Amino acid sequence: MTGRPPDWLHPAFRTIEGEEIFTWADLADLPVPVGGVVQADRPSRVLAALAAAEAAGQGLLLARGASDPEGWQPGQGFTVTLESSGTTGTPKRLRHDFARLRGRLRGVAEDGARWLLTYDPGAFAGLQVMLTAAAAGALLVSVPGSGVVTVAALAQAARRHAVTHVSGTPSFWRAFLMALGDAELPLAVVTLGGEAADQPLLDRLAARFPHARLRHIYASTEAGALFAVADGRAGFPAAWLDDAPDGLALRIVDGVLEVRSPRAAPGLTDGEGWLSTGDLVERKGDRVLFAGRLDGLVNVGGVKVSAEAVERRLLAVDGVADAMVFAVPSPITGHLLTATIVAVPGVDEATVRAGLRAATADLPPAARPRALTFADHIPLSAAGKKSRKGPQ
Amino acid sequence: MTNSIFALIAEELGRIAADKGEALPSLTADSRFLDGDLPIDSLDLATLLVVLEQRTGQDPFREGFRQFTTVGELAALYTVPV
Repeated sequence: MTGRPPDWLHPAFRTIEGEEIFTWADLADLPVPVGGVVQADRPSRVLAALAAAEAAGQGLLLARGASDPEGWQPGQGFTVTLESSGTTGTPKRLRHDFARLRGRLRGVAEDGARWLLTYDPGAFAGLQVMLTAAAAGALLVSVPGSGVVTVAALAQAARRHAVTHVSGTPSFWRAFLMALGDAELPLAVVTLGGEAADQPLLDRLAARFPHARLRHIYASTEAGALFAVADGRAGFPAAWLDDAPDGLALRIVDGVLEVRSPRAAPGLTDGEGWLSTGDLVERKGDRVLFAGRLDGLVNVGGVKVSAEAVERRLLAVDGVADAMVFAVPSPITGHLLTATIVAVPGVDEATVRAGLRAATADLPPAARPRALTFADHIPLSAAGKKSRKGPQ
Repeated sequence: MTNSIFALIAEELGRIAADKGEALPSLTADSRFLDGDLPIDSLDLATLLVVLEQRTGQDPFREGFRQFTTVGELAALYTVPV
């Protein structure tokens, strides 16, 4: 693959991965992935594969490690299939039209912009950051690592390359603020996404980076990039229910936010184009605020996890008589899964702990329950159900 | 005096590190949590705060986030049990 860069990649774009730097010419020299499947562990690989798939008019799967791409078909024409990081261990695949993926991105050249990639390069949010930097001719800074890149390493790279644009989850930002300490960073744009941004964090970011534009974005793999809120307040303006930006329509049905978006993945909307986001919202004065998930999923550091699904695994462990997994609020990661375990009488606690660890070892770290406690019974609510919210 | 809280943090952090097969370097009040000094990530730090609440009955973050970077700064957020 040689020649001119694709129209979504500005010729000035460069990406730094640890000590390696890639220009378009370097990307064009990378091998073309076989069978339309690329291991999406580095921006260079992903961007080169996108360009190759587009040139060939073929589908591309951005694989994220664990799952077996056997049986995946590229299909007709250039599409991009993303894998979600499922909490049950089985990733969901969703095929996107490339134009729709680019969605709200505008190819505005931003001279001297230096982006830090805090997301997985194979994730929807990571792709958005990479395509934004590529279109702007910016420098994209990333830290290579198999899956787990520490916030400390990201903070170090941010300082070293004096990044100007950082997009991350609220949980990332809480940890990043701690890792950064008092270090100066010439941030021009601070972006939050992937979880609901809370007001205390928005206030801390505004105080820490007074010269940066602060915005939180709302997007989902199913609905695509939806909107950005730039007024420094949590939630979004209630006025958008009548008149939403960027060609969107928004409505609340039974407490759940529904959207009609030109960027929604096809086949998921109802006859009139509406798509349920599964996000619970509350209208408070002139604001609409996010209030958790309809399906009971909780957000742990930007990863949606199911306490019920994890609990079913723990209940299947030898020596476990009963178990309850519940989410507790965390000032660091938003929520954290924890569990109370009732062991079968006479069974060694250390043995049960080892079994519990083995039963959750293949889950994403955010879905593994922490700070396990052993008890002689699980307290039930008045209705006789486990109280999922845990001890108050 | 936050010595006993400091000891509690050292004990629990050691346990969290050991669960991951990591050894904790010797801890001082100036040890920084997330800048690479210690073999822990933000999920581990979140776990530490849950365990500290279980063991002290205190949640200094109930009313909102309070800034801390070092072990000493975290210890100072807890009042010493009598």
